[in-house]
Amino acid sequence: MDVIVCAKLAPDPEDIQVKSDGSISLENAEWVIGSFDLQAIEAAVRLAEATAGKVTVLTAGPHQVNNSKLKKDLLSRGPHALVMVVDEALASADTALTAAVLAGAIRKMGGADVALFGEGSADLYFQQTGLQVGERLGWPTLNAVSRIEPQENSLLIERNLEEEIEVLQVPLPAAISVTVDITTPRLPTMMEILKAGQKPVTVWTLADLGLEGQAAAKIATLSVRAPQQVARKRILIEDAPEEAAQTLAAYLSKEGLV
Amino acid sequence: MDFGFTEEQELLAHSLEELLQREAPESLLAELDARHEFPYKPWKALAEQGILGLGIPEKYGGTPADIQTMTLVCETLGKHAFPLGIIYSLGMITILDILQFGSEEMKMEVLTGLAQGDPPVALGITEPQAGSDAAALKATADFDGDEVVFNGQKMFCTLAGISKHILLMTRDARIENPYEGISMWLVPTDAPGLRFSQVSKVGWWTVPTYEVFIQNVRVPRKNLVGELNRGWPQLMANFEIERLALSAASVGAAEGAYEEAAAYANQRVQFGQPIGAFQAVQHKIVDMAVKIENMRNYIYKIAWMMDHHMPVRHEHAMCKLYVAQAAFEVTDDAMQLLGGLGYTTENRVQRHWRDVRLMRIGGGTDEIMYNIAGPQLLKRARK
Repeated sequence: MDVIVCAKLAPDPEDIQVKSDGSISLENAEWVIGSFDLQAIEAAVRLAEATAGKVTVLTAGPHQVNNSKLKKDLLSRGPHALVMVVDEALASADTALTAAVLAGAIRKMGGADVALFGEGSADLYFQQTGLQVGERLGWPTLNAVSRIEPQENSLLIERNLEEEIEVLQVPLPAAISVTVDITTPRLPTMMEILKAGQKPVTVWTLADLGLEGQAAAKIATLSVRAPQQVARKRILIEDAPEEAAQTLAAYLSKEGLV
Repeated sequence: MDFGFTEEQELLAHSLEELLQREAPESLLAELDARHEFPYKPWKALAEQGILGLGIPEKYGGTPADIQTMTLVCETLGKHAFPLGIIYSLGMITILDILQFGSEEMKMEVLTGLAQGDPPVALGITEPQAGSDAAALKATADFDGDEVVFNGQKMFCTLAGISKHILLMTRDARIENPYEGISMWLVPTDAPGLRFSQVSKVGWWTVPTYEVFIQNVRVPRKNLVGELNRGWPQLMANFEIERLALSAASVGAAEGAYEEAAAYANQRVQFGQPIGAFQAVQHKIVDMAVKIENMRNYIYKIAWMMDHHMPVRHEHAMCKLYVAQAAFEVTDDAMQLLGGLGYTTENRVQRHWRDVRLMRIGGGTDEIMYNIAGPQLLKRARK
């Protein structure tokens, strides 16, 4: 099967710095592959391996994504090729704009049997992009998929719902968003890392997709603020065990915790 | 001057860290240490990830890698799973000895097995009367037709009881100059006549060390590694990289201990404030960090020199000397900062403290490192 897996590259959440006014700085953050997309990449590679197929990883974003180390990181995890849409207009892209770009890129790539997505992006986690891309392409579109089994011209998939497991047969091509428990991502070996630098990479702009000035974000972000940190009270209760327990219970009750 | 790693090295280190989180978490390492058990499962995971094949040619199932990359692997292993760093470091010398001096048959059998997760080949040099004076060894090798018969006793032969092979050093007593009468042999550990007795140690509990009794052990003559009576220069050829690898693992152990101590200094409250607010603690933290920085610079400079085929005769000895001492000082300071908690078996710092102490003895004592570096430095000063 010809599989396209869409992965979002975003600033590493561990590198986010909160400024004194509560605003967030991403200036020194290293960009990494979204943690939810690692499972999608692994699921795509396994699907391709099971069907003697090919995987292309597709990503879109501002200039930070066009980074040599990130490209090697993506390609060392099993995909055969990488397509990137790099454009500064994507710096504050919402799900509608991202979906328009990804759908445009998939069309330009000549389509695929399956497009896979992670369950959400690591930074915004709207869980909408995969669904919107599928809708734009007019493909059967599903999310919350926890198992994929390739069949002749279709996929047998499982959706893990709260009280039931739904089993569906989906005709191809299809757009599928997978959950994090679908599989455990492989860790690249040195050999795979070395080979990654030799795999094909294609870089497009919005103009290459005919989308320059055509697609725009529909949502404006007004501000991003870190929740206010409350200093720890550091209350030390020094008393006999029974009295200390009563004092502790009183504190917890006062805070509405018990 | 470039102090950075390549993108490939950074990605490898990141991948290795994730692997260690999955396959060698602290809880498992503590459990194995308490049970004095070799980390077979994490070791196999390293093999499956291609780590054990680094530096071994592709035709034997490995991946070519430079010394800087292997140093980075040793440091990363040392930081997150020190016993694996020790085992990996110990394996490097025997891999290189077999690669440089072994027959094609040996390479195919032994190196392929090592890349797939066999415990490293043990190195049989030290004897009860031959420690730092390694050339005073007395184990013998006598020819009998197509076979060779070994007799003698080896001491502090790490991993011998669980390895598939020992790289055994013997000496022909008829040759007056001991350095010209030593030979290197590949001996299967299941050969009849070999007996192993485990040595009880202060640390390295997951890395067993043995006394080896050798009585009329027979192997084919073709098990000679390299040339007859050329074992000493063959042995010396790769000691430098072993010492670098052990140093790198020790730096990693010191970094791990430092992280524990620094986190504790921020979190532990005494007299109404985190203990890190006290200058006495801050000074210790800075001293530890300076030593770690110096150690890292030293090991990567030696690795860089070796990758550029520059001689490191006295440099490697000075590096090993400094790192063995500084890494222990850092782990000792970490234990001090952790107070009572540092001396309990609940925290990994005590394990690093016990394990790192051996680095001033194993792989060449501090005193031997002085002996190697001192004459070289004075010779240079005479020019």
